[in-house]
Amino acid sequence: MPGKFGTPTDPDYALRLAEFEARIARGEKIEPGDWMPEEYRRQLVRMISQHAHSEVVGMLPEGAWITRAPSLKRKMILIAKVQDEAGHGQYLYHAAETLGISREEMLEALLSGRAKYSSIFNYPTLTWADIGTIGWLVDGAAIKNQTMLAQCSYGPYSRAMVRICAEETFHHKQGKEMVIAYAKGTPKQRQMAQDAINRWWWPALMMLGPHDADSPNSEVLIRWGVKTKSNDTVRQEFINEHAPEILATGLSLPDPELHQDPQGNWRHGPINWEEFWSVVGGNGPMNKERLEARRRAHTEGAWVREALEAYAAKKSPIPMAV
Amino acid sequence: MSDTQWPRWEVFKQDTPNKPHQAVGSVHAADPLHALLTARNVFVRRPQAVSLWVAPASAIFSVTQEELAEGPKPSPESTGVAGAYLLFRKTSHKRSMTFVDYVGQLEAPSPQAALEQALRQFTDAEALAWWVIPASSVVRSEESPETVESWFAPAKEKTYKQQSYYGVVGTHTSKLRGRGGADES
Ligand SMILES: [Fe+2]
Ligand SMILES: [Fe+2]
Repeated sequence: MPGKFGTPTDPDYALRLAEFEARIARGEKIEPGDWMPEEYRRQLVRMISQHAHSEVVGMLPEGAWITRAPSLKRKMILIAKVQDEAGHGQYLYHAAETLGISREEMLEALLSGRAKYSSIFNYPTLTWADIGTIGWLVDGAAIKNQTMLAQCSYGPYSRAMVRICAEETFHHKQGKEMVIAYAKGTPKQRQMAQDAINRWWWPALMMLGPHDADSPNSEVLIRWGVKTKSNDTVRQEFINEHAPEILATGLSLPDPELHQDPQGNWRHGPINWEEFWSVVGGNGPMNKERLEARRRAHTEGAWVREALEAYAAKKSPIPMAV
Repeated sequence: MSDTQWPRWEVFKQDTPNKPHQAVGSVHAADPLHALLTARNVFVRRPQAVSLWVAPASAIFSVTQEELAEGPKPSPESTGVAGAYLLFRKTSHKRSMTFVDYVGQLEAPSPQAALEQALRQFTDAEALAWWVIPASSVVRSEESPETVESWFAPAKEKTYKQQSYYGVVGTHTSKLRGRGGADES
């Protein structure tokens, strides 16, 4: 099924690239089977698989709190949210598969530690208030990015994003509702919410990626309509929405330099990129645990995969694709 | 045994009885029933479904508009048999969460022939992509009211999965414009 992937050494590359870029300029979606530059394919596989891994690993920090939810209502909401994240991972792996990479290859890359996933999930969830804060800030930041990616020129990625965004708004809202409830609650609840905001605010800003000047892939991704906005633009949208809303609850943000400029943009103080790169490089507080948890789940589930395959082989004539 | 994620199946979801089945994405599963059950868990966590179809990805003959313009594309040998074919078509570049829609069924000697027939028959809209699938490869969820009820109704009760359940929460940014002073701590 994967189509033709052009490289600059092809004799007709310049011509086909021009046609390809004209299609994107006209707002057409590129579909599996269409001609595309190999570099477009490579960048998409990288982005979509990282995104899929992030959804899957993203279940771990929140999943740890399902058994400790304070009420049945909160528990049902959290289970539904974590189940959604599993679904998001599935949508995205599917989108990547349309580019000719297999599920097995992607999972191997994740489990071997070669693949990257969002830095944010390498931070620990220390209290229940972290669950609300993740919904409000982490899903809130993710939505900003995903709304942008829903415009993506690659059809399967765009469609996965539209589907995901429709579900993310629930994640965002339940988190916001929870944090506001605690902000209006007892002094202890309030303090717990403040502590969670203090710990998640900076990682949420970092998860939207390095500054534009340090983001080497951005230019080509924007030219080919994969991304339609730069990291800093998306980050600014996130802060402009979330900073005033959080401050309106009476909670504070852990950035003494945060202020609104005359244009109305909320300006943040310097981001600790050393911390970001250290977490990306595998040295965050929870990197090891996250990977171990994934590996354990994969190994412990092996017998299920084998049993179902053996059952299918006995019953059905459909050949097993490799 | 080496690791497997099982074969891939494309999933088609019908939202209401008078809408066509639409391609929503794929799942990995060992057999057709497993594929249907997984499709339900992955694609029907919210309301709006009355029926699901699945087909092994390997059985699908797919052609884009660009490929059509380049001339005939050989259809895969494994599915090149005479019989009934289901035709699916994409007609818009608009923002969407689905790919091709079901347009109808044809009898043809091969997927390529089914496509050629479809190009003559379904001319109401310009096609941007086609999927041709042997009817014998498509597995459908049961149509009995009990199955429809037990498979698709539970999602309707779980209103807390909808953002509308939470109503208006806090003060929206649009109402906060112009307020100054970041440091309230
Ligand atoms: Fe998600
Ligand atoms: Fe989410």
